[in-house]
Amino acid sequence: MQNNTPTPNGGVCVEVRELWKVFGANAEQLLRSDRRSATKESILEETGCVVALRDLSFEVQRGEFFVIMGLSGSGKSTLIRCVLRLVEPTAGRILINGEDVCAYDEAQLMELRRHTTSMVFQQFGLFPHRSVLDNVAYGLKVRGVEKEERYARAREVIGKVGLREWESYPPSALSGGMQQRVGIARALATEPEILLMDEPFSGLDPLIRRQMQDELVELQAEVQKTIVFVTHDLHEALKLGGRIAIMRDGEIIQIGTPEEVITAPGDAYVREFVQDASPAKVLTAGTIMEQPNVLLYEWQGPKAALHILKTTGLDNVFLVARRGRLLGLVTVDRLAELIKKKGTSVKQALEPDMLTCTTDMIVEDLFPLAASTTYPIAVVDDKGKFVGEIHISTVLSTMIQKKEEEQEEREEKEEKEAMKADG
Amino acid sequence: MVEFPELFQVPLAEWVDAVMSWVLTNWGAAFDAVGDVILFALLRVEWLLLWLPWVVVVVGVGVVAWRAMRRWVAGLLMAGFLVLIGSFGHWDLAMMTLAIIFAAVMISLAIGIPTGIVMARSNSVEAIIRPVLDAMQTMPSFVYLIPALMLFGLGKVPAVFATIIYAVPPVIRLTNVGIRQVPSSVVEAARAFGSSSRQILFEVQLPLAVPSIMVGINQTTMMALAMVVIASMIGAKGLGMEVLLAINRIQIGKGFEAGLCIVLLAILIDRVTHALAARQEYAVTS
Repeated sequence: MQNNTPTPNGGVCVEVRELWKVFGANAEQLLRSDRRSATKESILEETGCVVALRDLSFEVQRGEFFVIMGLSGSGKSTLIRCVLRLVEPTAGRILINGEDVCAYDEAQLMELRRHTTSMVFQQFGLFPHRSVLDNVAYGLKVRGVEKEERYARAREVIGKVGLREWESYPPSALSGGMQQRVGIARALATEPEILLMDEPFSGLDPLIRRQMQDELVELQAEVQKTIVFVTHDLHEALKLGGRIAIMRDGEIIQIGTPEEVITAPGDAYVREFVQDASPAKVLTAGTIMEQPNVLLYEWQGPKAALHILKTTGLDNVFLVARRGRLLGLVTVDRLAELIKKKGTSVKQALEPDMLTCTTDMIVEDLFPLAASTTYPIAVVDDKGKFVGEIHISTVLSTMIQKKEEEQEEREEKEEKEAMKADG
Repeated sequence: MVEFPELFQVPLAEWVDAVMSWVLTNWGAAFDAVGDVILFALLRVEWLLLWLPWVVVVVGVGVVAWRAMRRWVAGLLMAGFLVLIGSFGHWDLAMMTLAIIFAAVMISLAIGIPTGIVMARSNSVEAIIRPVLDAMQTMPSFVYLIPALMLFGLGKVPAVFATIIYAVPPVIRLTNVGIRQVPSSVVEAARAFGSSSRQILFEVQLPLAVPSIMVGINQTTMMALAMVVIASMIGAKGLGMEVLLAINRIQIGKGFEAGLCIVLLAILIDRVTHALAARQEYAVTS
């Protein structure tokens, strides 16, 4: 398998150097002249050539989740297609594992696409005349893998994306979200080193989109691929990206981690973009959680527990086991009742309606939780260890902030419209 | 300035005659060979259709029609058509006509589908072939009936040849269209997974073009059927010949009988091939 071959330049998986893509006749001639530095508009006017990508350079590390974000027409889809030479670059170099893909002949290119990379498409690109199983097995089929082997592998991946009962159906029988799961399964079936995803979730409705994003994050934690992910959705970029490249008019304006992009936007364009990101959509439970004043331990007796609560003036407290593992929430009322019944373990005084979330949960997703409880929400890490608590008021305050922002936006819009009406 | 100047006259007719006589003297043997192949295939089909007891043919057609249209009434009706043709006393003639159509359609598909594929894969090839197809369909068939006669002699072979010229364009066109209308996103996906262009053709483009190609086959078959009367003018025995003779002798009843047989054959072939084409749209290979 090529998957584990060490690469000449170590951590770098995909390297793009001075990449240009110009559509139109005489494109190469244009790039050789010094007219190349002119603006997109003047080049179009003078030569009829459209500059889709202008002098791009970046690197993607092995195992990195690299997001390319830009509005439509920014060249992001062209860029991701250039990596596989589905669109031929006009000039520049693309190195995958240190080898220049642009110098590949047809056979080498096919080899690359069969073994090293896989792609997921916005319009899914599924084969309508084939069953889900055959769709997923396609990459292995063109590679020449025997029927039994490729079906076994395809079934494994189909199970992973949760479509086991659907393997014999045609894609048209599936919903959009399910179709894209097939697309992802098809891409994973060949065990590629690099996963290219071109706006995979843009065609899906918001609820399914968020769910698919969560699943992709989980999947990535499991399979650890190098992912190049194209999107026009900033929130998606911030949520998924290890690093984000922001594109405009065929140029990369800024590359950075989500935090860098939010806190230090590269220029006015990025700043404008980032402004739209409401804190509730960017902040995670981990950033807004607080440390509790007191914690109860499972080995403490009910009376001692009640005493602690009374002296601190609290109505409830989280109960943890050894090594900080969260057991539940204990309330004053239940404790008093337990003592009346002469119970011996505080574990018998747990409130059943306790809610928990993980540190990486987006605050916006906490709103429905916060609305359904009066107790604080416990924050746990992925091993179930208690790491903090979130009070409803904190969640609400970010929500109010969001509302205010929306209000402002609305007012701004109204103002603009009023101005338009005036002018 | 009233009459067209004689200076600009193009002697196209003379050129064509010259080419024709050159072909006849230099390529006569080649055309004879081609004719022999066509005749060989045709005679086998004809022999088979005439050898089969009529009951077998009627039941066979009934079953195929029933399977294709998924209604036993339809099967019964189609079988009934054949019985009706037989009851007019035209069984043997109908089988001869079917043999010509069958041979012409098979050869048309063998030529048409590959041509359609080539046409779909190159815009310049499409630009060249498209006007040729237009010419083949609009040129009055008598115009190439005579050269066909000169090249292959009198009989069934020139009839098949003329029928092919008339009937092959639809299957070429619809193969081309079928392949071209495969969504580019699907072809791109196939490319992205490292398919060779052969694999793209056979795994993706052709299977997705099948419904369109089936419509092309249906149309080609119908056009072949439409040629039977004209083809009988150069000596192809069959229902068409019967119509022609009846017209010449002003036997209205006889002509109507034979004409009706052609119509019944046409309905039969059209419904069955049409049903087969429609079924392809729902077919999913598992």
